[in-house]
Amino acid sequence: MKNTHFLTMLAGTATLMAVFAGPPAFAADGKLEQLKTQGFARVAIANEPPFTAVAADGKVSGAAPDVAREIFKRLGVADIVASISEYGAMIPGLQAGRHDVITAGLFMKPERCAAVAYSQPILCDAEAFALKKGNPLKLQSYKDIADNPDAKIGAPGGGTEEKLALEAGVPRDRVIVVPDGQSGLKMLQDGRIDAYSLPVLSINDLVSKAKDPEIEVVAPVQGAPVYCDGAAFKKGDEALRDAFDVELAKLKESGDFAKIIEPYGFSAKAAMSTTREKLCAAK
Amino acid sequence: MEWDWNFVWEIMPTLIEGLKITLLATVFGAALAAVIGLAFAILRMTAPRPIAKTTSFVVEFIRGTPLLVQLYFIFYVLPDIGIRLPALLAGVIGLGLHYGTYAAEVYRAGIENVPRGQWEAAKATNLTTRQTWIHVVLPQAIPPMIPALANYLIAMFKETPLLSAITVLELMNQAKSVANSSYRYIEPMTLVGVFFLIMSLISVVFLRFLEDRFSPLEQR
Repeated sequence: MKNTHFLTMLAGTATLMAVFAGPPAFAADGKLEQLKTQGFARVAIANEPPFTAVAADGKVSGAAPDVAREIFKRLGVADIVASISEYGAMIPGLQAGRHDVITAGLFMKPERCAAVAYSQPILCDAEAFALKKGNPLKLQSYKDIADNPDAKIGAPGGGTEEKLALEAGVPRDRVIVVPDGQSGLKMLQDGRIDAYSLPVLSINDLVSKAKDPEIEVVAPVQGAPVYCDGAAFKKGDEALRDAFDVELAKLKESGDFAKIIEPYGFSAKAAMSTTREKLCAAK
Repeated sequence: MEWDWNFVWEIMPTLIEGLKITLLATVFGAALAAVIGLAFAILRMTAPRPIAKTTSFVVEFIRGTPLLVQLYFIFYVLPDIGIRLPALLAGVIGLGLHYGTYAAEVYRAGIENVPRGQWEAAKATNLTTRQTWIHVVLPQAIPPMIPALANYLIAMFKETPLLSAITVLELMNQAKSVANSSYRYIEPMTLVGVFFLIMSLISVVFLRFLEDRFSPLEQR
């Protein structure tokens, strides 16, 4: 671990010298300089519209990568290259150096804040359920699912919803790990699960695309607060994170931030009215 | 990355839960494969020509497509025509069907390897079909099949992590779920490997024993 870090620094410093052929200005910004030279930052995404989306032609969009692309451009990193990952694999992947930053709607929770260096909040959303029309099991909260021994919930593996369900006391064998949105919807239609939980905007996007009159949405889920994500950097890349935060703050102030995320349905005000410190401390 | 023994003990019960499901899937999958394989082999060898041809086609079809695709089909597509199987059952059927086709080939090879003269001798001594199979053909056909079947059993065991793709909470899926909440892969994945290795080694020893046990018949 220490060695790699040292090597990264060394490589960063070396490139810096090569590029500017002068005295290195900020040796601590090794990571950023490395990304600049390389011309792109590797980001982890999940393909869960509207947070993250991959179009049929492979173009990466969604609110989180769009914000990151803009900020990296302002930092002098020309582009982002995205790789699709499961939520649960994102933080280990970040720690293993498989990507430079997570921009996937990975909501801030205290245990995640302890594992990565988050930027300031970017996208905020509440949690929702998709379920069979008429809500036959009357599920309004994760607690309701825990209390009904027949209710099964589907959620992305390692996602916030899986953790919320487990924290509410739903036993492991009734929390079904669903690999992607489409599978979740199919499992709901087939009656394998009774509720499929994702953030409100993701569920709405999924359900509106499915056009299935038998599916309805409960939003927001009772008792689950609004969560916000941030760009997640590796511990040790705080210098890069701080540079990112500076540009993010400027972006928010100029109103460009709202212009990027509001078409996707996110509220810029929600992200601007809270802070990383508050969200990471929240239980 | 440092190895953390405390974490290992903490996750052990979860992984053992997963191991139980893995073993369950393997045992039932193997039993199903043995039966299905026999049915396929008999149909191919003794059924009237059209049925035998159809069976051959089905066997080739299953052998020629990936298990993962078949699992997705059983789990996600069959509900469209009203067949909704629980995840584990879908997995067992997938494994059983897939490996059944391999087993069928082993059975067929084993039976066809019994020299023609044995069949003729059985006929000459006026044995019934039943007696011919039970006392002449199978005792000579089965021992050479055992190593091949054993290999498939171990191969099938090692393929069970594919069931995690259809939401069966077996060993691999439990390990992933542990890694998802702890952000550590090194211990869970190492343990998965170790569990599989231990089980494979035990099966190898057991199958060696079976081979030894049955080989004298061959030399009789």
